[in-house]
Amino acid sequence: MTDDETATDQRVRRLSRHTRRRFLALGGAAGAVALAGCSAEQTDDGAADDESGDDEADGDRSGDGSSDNESDDGSGDEETPTLTVATYTSFIDAPSVSPGEWLKDEFESRFDAELEWATPDNEINYYIERAQSDAGIDADVYVGFTTEDLVRIDEQLDDDLFAEAGDIDGLDAVRNGLLFDPADRAVPYDTGYVSLVYDGTETEAPETFEGLLDEEHAGALIAQNPGGSATGRAFLFHTVRQFGDGPDGVVEGEDGDADYDYLDYWADLQDNGVRVLGSWEDAYTAWSGGEAPIVVSYSTDQVFAADAGEDLEKHQIRFLNDQAYATPEGMAVFADADEPALAREFMSFMLEPAVQGEIAQRNVAFPATDTAELPDDYRELAQEPTDPVTFTYDELQGSVSEWISDWERQYAGN
Amino acid sequence: MSDGPHGPHGRGGRGRIRRSLRDRLEGRLLTLLAVATSAALVVAFYYPVGTVLVEAVRVDGAVTLGVFAEILRDPFYFGELARLFAGESPIAVARDLASPDRRLGIVGFTAYQAALSTAASVALGLPAAYLLARFEFPGRRTLRSLTIVPFVLPSIMVAVGFVATFGRNGTLNAVLGALGLPPVDLLFTLEAIVIAHAFYNAPLVARVTTAAWESVDARAVETARSLGAGPLRAFYDVVAPQLYPAVLTGAALTFVFTFGTFPIVLALGGFQLATIEVFIYRLVRDLSYAEAAALAIIELVISLGVLLAYLRYEARNTVRSRGARPLPRKPLFPAASTARQILPRVGLAAYFVVAGVIFLAPIASMILASVTGADGALTLEHYRFLLDRQQTGAAFQVRPWPAIRNSLLFATGATLFALPMGVVVAVLTTRRYRGRKLVDAAAMAPLAVSGIVVGLGLLRGLVFGIEVAGWRVTVAGSVAIVLAHAIAGYPFVVRTVAPGLEGLDRSLIESARALGASRARVIRDVELPLVWPAVVAGAAFAFAISIGEFTATVVLATSADAYTMPVAIERFIGRRLGPATAMGVVLLVVTGLSFVVIERLGGEHRGL
Repeated sequence: MTDDETATDQRVRRLSRHTRRRFLALGGAAGAVALAGCSAEQTDDGAADDESGDDEADGDRSGDGSSDNESDDGSGDEETPTLTVATYTSFIDAPSVSPGEWLKDEFESRFDAELEWATPDNEINYYIERAQSDAGIDADVYVGFTTEDLVRIDEQLDDDLFAEAGDIDGLDAVRNGLLFDPADRAVPYDTGYVSLVYDGTETEAPETFEGLLDEEHAGALIAQNPGGSATGRAFLFHTVRQFGDGPDGVVEGEDGDADYDYLDYWADLQDNGVRVLGSWEDAYTAWSGGEAPIVVSYSTDQVFAADAGEDLEKHQIRFLNDQAYATPEGMAVFADADEPALAREFMSFMLEPAVQGEIAQRNVAFPATDTAELPDDYRELAQEPTDPVTFTYDELQGSVSEWISDWERQYAGN
Repeated sequence: MSDGPHGPHGRGGRGRIRRSLRDRLEGRLLTLLAVATSAALVVAFYYPVGTVLVEAVRVDGAVTLGVFAEILRDPFYFGELARLFAGESPIAVARDLASPDRRLGIVGFTAYQAALSTAASVALGLPAAYLLARFEFPGRRTLRSLTIVPFVLPSIMVAVGFVATFGRNGTLNAVLGALGLPPVDLLFTLEAIVIAHAFYNAPLVARVTTAAWESVDARAVETARSLGAGPLRAFYDVVAPQLYPAVLTGAALTFVFTFGTFPIVLALGGFQLATIEVFIYRLVRDLSYAEAAALAIIELVISLGVLLAYLRYEARNTVRSRGARPLPRKPLFPAASTARQILPRVGLAAYFVVAGVIFLAPIASMILASVTGADGALTLEHYRFLLDRQQTGAAFQVRPWPAIRNSLLFATGATLFALPMGVVVAVLTTRRYRGRKLVDAAAMAPLAVSGIVVGLGLLRGLVFGIEVAGWRVTVAGSVAIVLAHAIAGYPFVVRTVAPGLEGLDRSLIESARALGASRARVIRDVELPLVWPAVVAGAAFAFAISIGEFTATVVLATSADAYTMPVAIERFIGRRLGPATAMGVVLLVVTGLSFVVIERLGGEHRGL
């Protein structure tokens, strides 16, 4: 095509044309192969040939076509039954410690059952979606939902997602104030407290909410977006508890001032330079980098710090007004569970004193029962507030979205 | 696709039958590919996303536009414009818009920061394209391959790098302090977000523009020069018009990405700078689907509107070209030094300083963070963690090696899928027919739909599947992931390839057709070779999109052995960031090497 090229040019040209062809042919072939793979993929369980019954779609999860062929067709009389426990990912997989592996080994060594973890990315919302899509639940127990999750579940679904807990050993050992389900489905297995963590070499955190508005703490606090982060939400709830949600609201603030609500407090906090970042990770990264000396986090921070050999002076805990917002985590049996009896045995197992101690240490949280066996040094590092506060199911019902969207509109209005 | 015309075939009757069969297949190939592409898009994109978006207009079983009306009239979302939608006089609204204390609303602010980010990305991307396309220096091809690396980094890695570089105690302030200059407080400002967006998207602008620059035909420039035009004049009249479409491609894509930006805004800016996607995310999480879907549609319409405007411009401003013998590159370090040679190089040197601060320093900080222990001393413990996790991790936990392997497999698969898909759509949308720009814009939708909405749609449409005659058909696992990644990546192939195809001289194609070549053959042997640098750039982007993809992967991965590197990074984030950053550096190295390999496979462009 061109008229002024050298021999090498021609050679290179031929070569590059050759590569181009190979590149294209490769693309075409791969496309065809993948297409074929895809359509083959689409066949799935034909478990039911009549209408959409409730327990038809067991095989969905293994649409991968691989591994776990479940044994629930004959509801497993001779075979070892499988208990599917759904939870959030860090419960079974975290860079430091997580209870998943220990719990599985311990449970399997004591019960004639196989424990299988399921950790869908959308967590409890995944099961709400499954229920709404009539896709079958495909799990026996859910471990790790909060009061607020339960409120959302009940708002979204007409039928119960969870069954009543029923007869669970150790339920009477659960500490006062942690039981959060008025319908007795949820059984708490641990709790966390959301507090302030501060660098003692940089500042001395204030002891009250008002103290955070002092000039000396201007720009000192990093919090998280209550719409996307559990710690951010808990801290927002704590301010609602403290200051109330206004004259038309449902919560009377502990400050006793009806004219000053949580939004007024947040306006003052914003004037004093609070930073509200996205996730807990964002906030903790910025705090660790020295952007500000105080961060909203968990009261177990020193457990991690001691474990990593860090200076505890840089990881001080402050409970504002001697309080912290408690975030109990619950577990419950799915109403659709294939193995309801085994699921309840698992929940009793989770409340045993030794297991409670292990869960608390490995999930870096606090046990739900007062019979838990915990080493003294853990109790020293993991600090509990003298006055834990939290909202009940009834208080949260119908209020949460409004609290959050009112806060969003005030904070981000531009 | 069959092999080339070389070799001794076509002898005797059987050969002739085979050849005619092949010709017929080839003749239909374009149609087949187009049908397959449409089917893939419907199954793994339009239908799943539709299941979510429909919730905006179907509330409690009734069809309504009420949700939209409410959002449009809400000053929180639309600022002063909301009053226009509420029926106020346009003059009063315009007057208030011109006043300094106007309200932008969330949507207005999102567009504003996206426009700033686009300007910054173009400003930072063009000098890089100039350097890569016009100068020769050792390591040029490797550098060109590596430009896309920032594109794949998870936001937490960028946050780590930015805090360490631009933070109060960061590298930048240390340098400023050493120079006796006052410190800057960059973090938690709009500037921080704009710089972070430029970090992600300037490479995109640079890579797309480089590909176009490398396709500029030297003969046209030589002709202009021989007719007496000076080098600047020749640039403005000949080269620049061939670059505008590419620069605008980069700008339009950057706008769309930064318009739908999510985690990085809250990580480096804060909630006072929240964008639409932040609210969509929260509403989806709280299962408030009607409002979430309505916002997602508004976001989509604005993004597609921008793309459509760009596509119309592109169609009107294409420069015909007949071939590509690229301009010869100049040595970066010339032997003799005249003023004309020194000036651009001084400019590039200044650019190096800026690029060093914005691109290299954050990446260097990430690497440094991966080898720094809790006590601040250098350590390899985080990498030992990766090895340890590999050896002792439980079957249900994410381990580094499977994550690396899956990332590479999925990305290779997705790229090989995305290439034919993208080329077919590029060919179809550069044909002349009414409404083709609308088709083109609709084909770009995977870039513009809210990520969280796509995730939810894939869950409903593919993982839960649909019931057909008592069978529940589901698509999940590795194949579905590859498909979802290909769909996310193919628009890049379209956008890099289409401007070049549009600019091709039709007479070349017509002569080839007249000589008996099938349409598919013409594309393969005539059109694609002429725009080859763009094809390779598109392939690299498709690969990058797959490597960096997170949402669809976690939704579709049905077992622990289908996870990828970004998922591993997210899993390894703990209170200490060491393990996650170590995995991030693994991602950095693996993708960097992959890009080098892709560009080598693609070959250096030497014209037709």
